[in-house]
Formats: sequence, structure tokens, C-alpha cells
Amino acid sequence: MGEDFTQQIRDKAKELLENGAVECVIGYETGSDGVSARPAFIYDAAEVDRLAFDNTCTHNLVKYLLDKKGKSTAVVVKGCDSRALNLLLSERQIQRDKVYVIGVVCPGVVEWGWNKRSEQLQKRCNWCRQHTPVVSDFAVGEPITEEPPAEFADVAEMATKTAEDRATFWRDQAERCIRCYACRQACPGCYCIDCFVELLDPEWVGIRIAPDENWMWNTIRAYHLGGRCISCNECERVCPVNIPLSLLNRKLEQEVLDLFDYKAGMSEDAPAPLITFKKDENLGIAE
Amino acid sequence: MSEDNSPLVIGFLCNWCSYAGADMAGTSRQAYPPNIRIMRVPCSGRVDPLLIVKCFEEGADAVLVAGCHPGDCHYTEGNYHGRRRFALLRDLLDFMGIEKERFRIEWISASEGKRFAKVVSEFTDEMTKLGPRKVG
Ligand code: SF4
Ligand code: SF4
Ligand code: SF4
Ligand code: FES
Repeated sequence: MGEDFTQQIRDKAKELLENGAVECVIGYETGSDGVSARPAFIYDAAEVDRLAFDNTCTHNLVKYLLDKKGKSTAVVVKGCDSRALNLLLSERQIQRDKVYVIGVVCPGVVEWGWNKRSEQLQKRCNWCRQHTPVVSDFAVGEPITEEPPAEFADVAEMATKTAEDRATFWRDQAERCIRCYACRQACPGCYCIDCFVELLDPEWVGIRIAPDENWMWNTIRAYHLGGRCISCNECERVCPVNIPLSLLNRKLEQEVLDLFDYKAGMSEDAPAPLITFKKDENLGIAE
Repeated sequence: MSEDNSPLVIGFLCNWCSYAGADMAGTSRQAYPPNIRIMRVPCSGRVDPLLIVKCFEEGADAVLVAGCHPGDCHYTEGNYHGRRRFALLRDLLDFMGIEKERFRIEWISASEGKRFAKVVSEFTDEMTKLGPRKVG
């Protein structure tokens, strides 16, 4: 990876900016700590050498396309990120002909912090079954054969607890939430202009930062991504108090697979499970 | 949970079928427990999951959503959409410690007054046995 991927990305960015195919290339560069990656927005071919790719390139850059509507933009995506492209395309938030996808076959990203990088893969990479991007105009790296469908051991373990223990667990998590909404801001699927959590009329969630209100927020945030979450796990990564949001997201992912045989972001055309229905399904309701 | 320890059940009933069914239960003098607080909504498809989660946040022990039978929705497909949303929400809530049993979805027509009374009685009994929500 490293040098070679970086060079391929730089060359492609240079070409796209020089021939005017795109106005901006969204990629990664090394941050001011000299170690970890941060998003980079390159508008000038002379600046492509800022671009880099390594195993700290964790951000899901697809999120930024929401601010680039109508403007030709290139974006660097990893396998998991690439599913967000299909999500946003199917929800008519971005236009395919305005986006140039530089798809990186991703070997995995590691846990890192300010000025330090570990060798330990991030959680999401252990579950990942999408190392090769599902959409790409220019591929970086050799496509790899994906392993069989993910298992949900973490979800299953939670399900072995009693209802009371589960309720206590989530109550405790909600108690710690500071409602910074970083989880929402990082999520490619959270782009509502008026998020329910900030509405005043009706006021679904009181402005008080307290367990009940936080519980409501965490529950609905997860639910709003039901059948839409593409498993990039950026929400959990950015949570400053380490709430295991992936447990909720993955529970929903598993149920969506079971109930609707659906996996988000795999195609631009497949309708999301909650905007469609089958007349003759009963889904365990009112049998 | 009310003071006498009997469960607090919130019911969302669609105007065209289940609410009329509840009315029918009343006019034909079918008794059912007073635990249920009824909310009339235009259609079961109107029941935003936010409403259900809000009920639980505010301390309800159980929620019932009742609408027209599949195929009979006044707006043709409201209950089909609702069914998917509720199925997914019920699983999520269960995972978060609100047992599946506490969130019930039923199809009850305008002529099923008897059935409405039966559903509410059984549901209330079941919730009494399950007991109040312990955390929340
Ligand atoms: S990022 Fe964490 S603390 Fe912030 S709102 Fe989301 S769950 Fe709460
Ligand atoms: S939490 Fe829900 S309402 Fe808020 S931005 Fe995300 S999807 Fe939209
Ligand atoms: S909910 Fe989390 S894991 Fe899912 S798409 Fe949003 S940021 Fe990614
Ligand atoms: S009108 Fe009764 S369920 Fe739609």
C-alpha cells in the first residue's frame, strides 16, 4: 500500500484537476501531528503532493460530497466508504455524473490517536466484507475476494443478557452521552436539514442533557439508519465517550438482513427496505 | 406504571378501522381494562416510530398500534409501510431491553368491537404478568 497507493492517487488527482474534469479532489493528507491522516480538499493540480494514503485513513469522505452538490468532485473511498456512495445516489443526494470515484482496495485501517499509531486494526475492519469498493471509476489496488457474510457475535452476546440487564446497559450508555452529535456529523446517512433531535415543535427530545433525553436520541439515531447504515463505523469512532454505537447499528443490520434480505449501499437501484413493502409478508406481526 | 401497579398502555388506533372498532366495543358494551390510553391517528402508517419511542421514554409500560387489516387501509398502503417500520423498531427496542411483548401491533376492523376488547384485555393481562419496566 503506502507509497504506491499514494502515488497513484496523486497522479490521478493531477490529471483530473489539470484537464478540468473535477473542481476538487477530496482525499487524505498527513495531519499536523505528522502521523495520522486528515481529510484534504485539493483544488489546484500544483497541490496534489499533499495527498497521501496509509492505514490511518479512517474518515468516510463521502460525507463531504453532500456539500459539493452540483459541482464535479473526485473523492477517495475505501471499500466501506464506497457503499455510502450508493446510499446517497439511491436517495438522490448526489449525482453520479458529478462524482469521480477513486476507489482504494483497503487492507484495513488501524487505531490511532494524536501523534501515535498502533498496529491494531479498527473494529470495523474485523467485520469488513467490503475491502474492494462497490463503485469506482479508478481502482487503486487489486480487487480481493471477500470472505463469507459477517457474523454478529457482539450482537448475539448482548442478546444473551436479560432484558433488565440490556435496559441497564443502554441506560448507562445514555447517561454518558454528552449529545455532541459527532456521531451524526460523521455519518454519511445523517444529512437531514432539520434533524429530529433539534426540532422545537414538536420537541421530540428535550434540550436537557440527561439520561431519558439521551436515550431517546441514541435510539432514534440508530433507527433512522436502519436499512441505511453502511457499516463504516465512523459514528462510533468519533464518539468522545466511546458509546458502542456499532452494537445498535449492527443489530439493525442483522435484522434488516433477516427480515428483508437487504444490505445497504450495495447497489444504487435497490430500494431501501423502509420505503417499500411486500403485501404478503407478515414479519412476525399480528400472526 | 400507575400507582396501583397496573400497567400503563398507550394505544394508537387508526381512525378508519381500529378506532371505530374501539367505538363499537363501547357501544356494544364490551368491557376492557381502563389501562389503555387511546390516541386516534389517521392511519397506522402515521405512527412515526418517534411516537412509540417517546411513549417508552415517558414511562409507558406498553404500546399498542392497531390499524386496518392488510389490504383494507383507507390510504391503501399505510399499514404495509407501518408493518415494516414496526417490525424493525420492535427488534431494536427489544435489544435495548424493552421486551418484544411490550410493543404490539394488531389489525382490527371497524366491525371487530369484540376483538378489540379481547386484544386490550389480553394485552393488559400479559403486561401485568410481565410487570412494570424496571429500568427506563
Ligand atoms: S458522539 Fe457519542 S456522545 Fe456525542 S452525541 Fe453521539 S453518542 Fe452522544
Ligand atoms: S438522526 Fe435522523 S433526523 Fe437526525 S440527521 Fe440522522 S437521519 Fe436525520
Ligand atoms: S450509522 Fe455509523 S456506521 Fe452506519 S453509516 Fe452512519 S457513521 Fe457509518
Ligand atoms: S387507514 Fe387504517 S391502517 Fe391505514
